[in-house]
Amino acid sequence: MTHLKKLLTRPLVNISIGLAVVALIVAVLGFADATYLTIEHYRGIVPPCSITGGCEEVLTSEFSTIVGIPTSLLGIIYYLLICVGVFLYLDTKKAVILKITLMLPWFGLGFSLWFTYLQIFVIRSYCAYCLVSAVITATLFFISFIMFKRSHSFHENI
Amino acid sequence: MNIKRIIFWIVFLAVLGLIAWGLIVALNKPLHNQLRLGTPSEVKTIDNARGPITAPVTIIEYSDFQCPACAMYYTLVEQLIASSPNIRVVYRNFPLYPLPHPNSMIAAQAAESAAKQGKFWEMHDMLFSKQSAWSDLPKEKALDMFKSYATTIGLNIVQYSADFDSPTVKAKIDADRTEGETLGINSTPTFFINGKAIVNPQGYDAFKKIIDEATR
Repeated sequence: MTHLKKLLTRPLVNISIGLAVVALIVAVLGFADATYLTIEHYRGIVPPCSITGGCEEVLTSEFSTIVGIPTSLLGIIYYLLICVGVFLYLDTKKAVILKITLMLPWFGLGFSLWFTYLQIFVIRSYCAYCLVSAVITATLFFISFIMFKRSHSFHENI
Repeated sequence: MNIKRIIFWIVFLAVLGLIAWGLIVALNKPLHNQLRLGTPSEVKTIDNARGPITAPVTIIEYSDFQCPACAMYYTLVEQLIASSPNIRVVYRNFPLYPLPHPNSMIAAQAAESAAKQGKFWEMHDMLFSKQSAWSDLPKEKALDMFKSYATTIGLNIVQYSADFDSPTVKAKIDADRTEGETLGINSTPTFFINGKAIVNPQGYDAFKKIIDEATR
């Protein structure tokens, strides 16, 4: 618990700009992916089933919306927040902005794990674009983890 | 706020906007690549066909019993057949197996086994109209379900079970799928009207129009 408290209260330091840029690029990819899925969801026409697909089952399943909002639309908002957050940090260099932004993938990872579980065990269909989103979020989480680790080590070594 | 930062932000937002706009434009265009598919082989005696041989319009469909889009188009084709006596429909197997449709192969086997007893279309109708009931089942349960369909449509079950795993049934499915791949098919359903690939019509009226044009 003390670790978590330290994590939340201490400022983020020893930030790698390179990693932040990587996070931005990855989040833009996530944004594109979620946008694609949202358009597919709203097109309302029947997408043909393709060799690489499975998206038609997943995107038409009962899990494709949360209280009427397409999950992919939430994905757009999520990736957009990360994009803007990281970009805002790169512009202003205010560490607190990056810190808050980098906490988003923690929740994102939870959602991604849940949706991947649903695809494997409940819907029994795999949508490549949904899996790509899960990989992107896992990557963002990994970047976030490294950033916090660097910051933590820095604080401990003072 | 200096001009450089403003440009910085405009470029960033423009990139995101362009991505969204590009995707919307790209996805709203029909997939014209389907038109570049090859020409399927002539209808053979081994093919599952219905409708008069002399019909001026032949629809060759490459399809997958577990594909939701195929089940939707099944209802459209049913309406087309009901509306006109001038249509011949040929079903060829293109199971997207093992992924994304793990039950598509056994469904094709069930249909081709029914075909051995002259009841392909009865099984075809059964599989499509009840797709949601067996689509998500584990293999063993789906097999039981197909067997119950076989009973319902009046197949000899002993014969059905023997045919199900027979090399001829598997060879038929493989031959269909291999030909489909040679033609360049990568999604289902894919329709050929009088040998020519069409872009999947959105709805009954659009489909009817294509058929009417081909009849003339």
